[in-house]
Amino acid sequence: MIHANSEVLTPDRVRSAVFSPTRLGRRGVDEGEVRAFCDRVSDGLGRLLNDNAGLQEEVMRLRNRLIAGRENSGPQPEDAQVQAVYVLSRAQQTADRYVADAQEYSKELAQDAQLRRDEVLREAKMRASMILEEAHTAASQAAASVVPGPREPLPACERQELLAEITYLRTFSDVCRTHLRAYLESLSRSIEQWEQVERKGAATAARESALRSPERV
Amino acid sequence: MDEHRLKESFARVATYGDEVPLFFYSHLFLNHPETRDLFPVSMAGQRDKLVNALGRIVSDVSNHDTLLPFLRGLGRDHRKFAAVAGHYPAVGASLIATLKHFSGQSWTDDLAQDWTEAYGVIAQVMTDAAAEDETRNPAWWDATVVGHERRTIEVAVLRVAPDVPLHYLPGQSVAVECEARPRLWRFYSMANAPRHDGTIDFHVRVIDGGAVSPALALRVSVGSRLRLGAPVGTLRLNTEQLNTGSPRNLLLAAGSTGLAPLKAIVEQVAGLPEPPQVHLVFGARTAAGLYDLADLEKMAAQWPWLTVTPAVSGEPGYRGETGTVADVVGRRVRLADHDAYLCGSAAMTTATMHRMQSLGLPRNQIYVEDYGWSAS
Repeated sequence: MIHANSEVLTPDRVRSAVFSPTRLGRRGVDEGEVRAFCDRVSDGLGRLLNDNAGLQEEVMRLRNRLIAGRENSGPQPEDAQVQAVYVLSRAQQTADRYVADAQEYSKELAQDAQLRRDEVLREAKMRASMILEEAHTAASQAAASVVPGPREPLPACERQELLAEITYLRTFSDVCRTHLRAYLESLSRSIEQWEQVERKGAATAARESALRSPERV
Repeated sequence: MDEHRLKESFARVATYGDEVPLFFYSHLFLNHPETRDLFPVSMAGQRDKLVNALGRIVSDVSNHDTLLPFLRGLGRDHRKFAAVAGHYPAVGASLIATLKHFSGQSWTDDLAQDWTEAYGVIAQVMTDAAAEDETRNPAWWDATVVGHERRTIEVAVLRVAPDVPLHYLPGQSVAVECEARPRLWRFYSMANAPRHDGTIDFHVRVIDGGAVSPALALRVSVGSRLRLGAPVGTLRLNTEQLNTGSPRNLLLAAGSTGLAPLKAIVEQVAGLPEPPQVHLVFGARTAAGLYDLADLEKMAAQWPWLTVTPAVSGEPGYRGETGTVADVVGRRVRLADHDAYLCGSAAMTTATMHRMQSLGLPRNQIYVEDYGWSAS
């Protein structure tokens, strides 16, 4: 081959390579086949060189962007001081999140308790007014059965019956009152319990947040 | 100092959002660990305050008439946070480091010069105001709780006795800190006119999930120690008007614990030689929420010039005025010849003010609670 080895092999050079004729007495290779092979090598090499140039360009582009980014954009971890600031910042953010979570939790608890309290009070009021209504009805019935008494004196046995009825109604009204009182007392007790639970809940949430959030980071 | 360059620089840095104050405080605490104790455990709210204050300073940098009073107030206000002159250089160094860090390549010597100069002026104005205030007032008032009453499941009434007298005007408020929640300050209005024994009442409503109000209502008890800041607030009785030839009657509209400053004003009126007619509308969601009604009715029985109307908005079947404070005011009071004082939730004061104006009461006869700048 009449090319110096040091020369860069390009597709053109492959294609136009001239081979020396074989020495006499020996059979050479088929020139056509050599040509065809060289053409194929030339094409392949051309593609590779193109790819390579593209890749080089891409590398340059990325490198430039990297350098430009380092120079222009704002925050870049420069030294240990900045790293330390970042570490402390993350710790602070964690503490902030714990406190926020605890507050959110206590808010939900309190709102839930308030809803249930309202419900219980509404129900209690309804039942109280029902009991009162019953007592009123019983009282007016009793009055109705007593009032229409005619002028003539009642027979002794009837009088006895009415007196018994009155005594019964008095007792009934006493019982109603006692029931109502007991009910209201139990109601106020359960509200007190509620308050205690709420208070305990708030205290626990606060304690947890205090345990989890470092005072100094 | 190039003010335009300063604003541009701040706008650029501000695009990094919460990262900026986060970096600032971490830088400050790393370089001056002793400053950490001046702040609450959770710093989330603190960061917003710093950015807001800085933003306000930068945007007003050429407007000295509003900037200087703001800075002086900030300087006086920071005394209760135990900030002293010695802390200012540390804060300045961390501020410059933060700005430099987020400015990246655009940080120049000129800019460094601008910011250093600007911070120097800020610090000077703030420390001067603090030093001047120091000649007259303590940094904060230590006080002992002498009474603690839970009136409803969500309202407590506290009576506190400051160690040294705290002078204030009825309608004003103070920032309050308790030992259970160190470094967290919340504003509460004094609920009484100044007394001879110097005690002060606060009406505390528990805010669900709040940091301070549940502690004041549930944890604090008789004997607990509190810290109180200097009195602030613009809600005050317009005594000049009452001293004119044609004094107007007063309409006080209170929503829940918004009652506190208005009750103090009622007591102030009681001390006047010729009290005007006062109509106090006290609103709550439920009848049980009218936590101070007994006391108000006692006052009304004692003072013929005082009328108290309770209003309940969320309890069908309540035997009395039902509806919001705005509804009841509209129904019960002939407004035009009144001066109106409002305090309550933002929703309540906004609605009531609109109703009053639509009924013909001029805006300049309506006084609404406004804390102005708050603690930062």
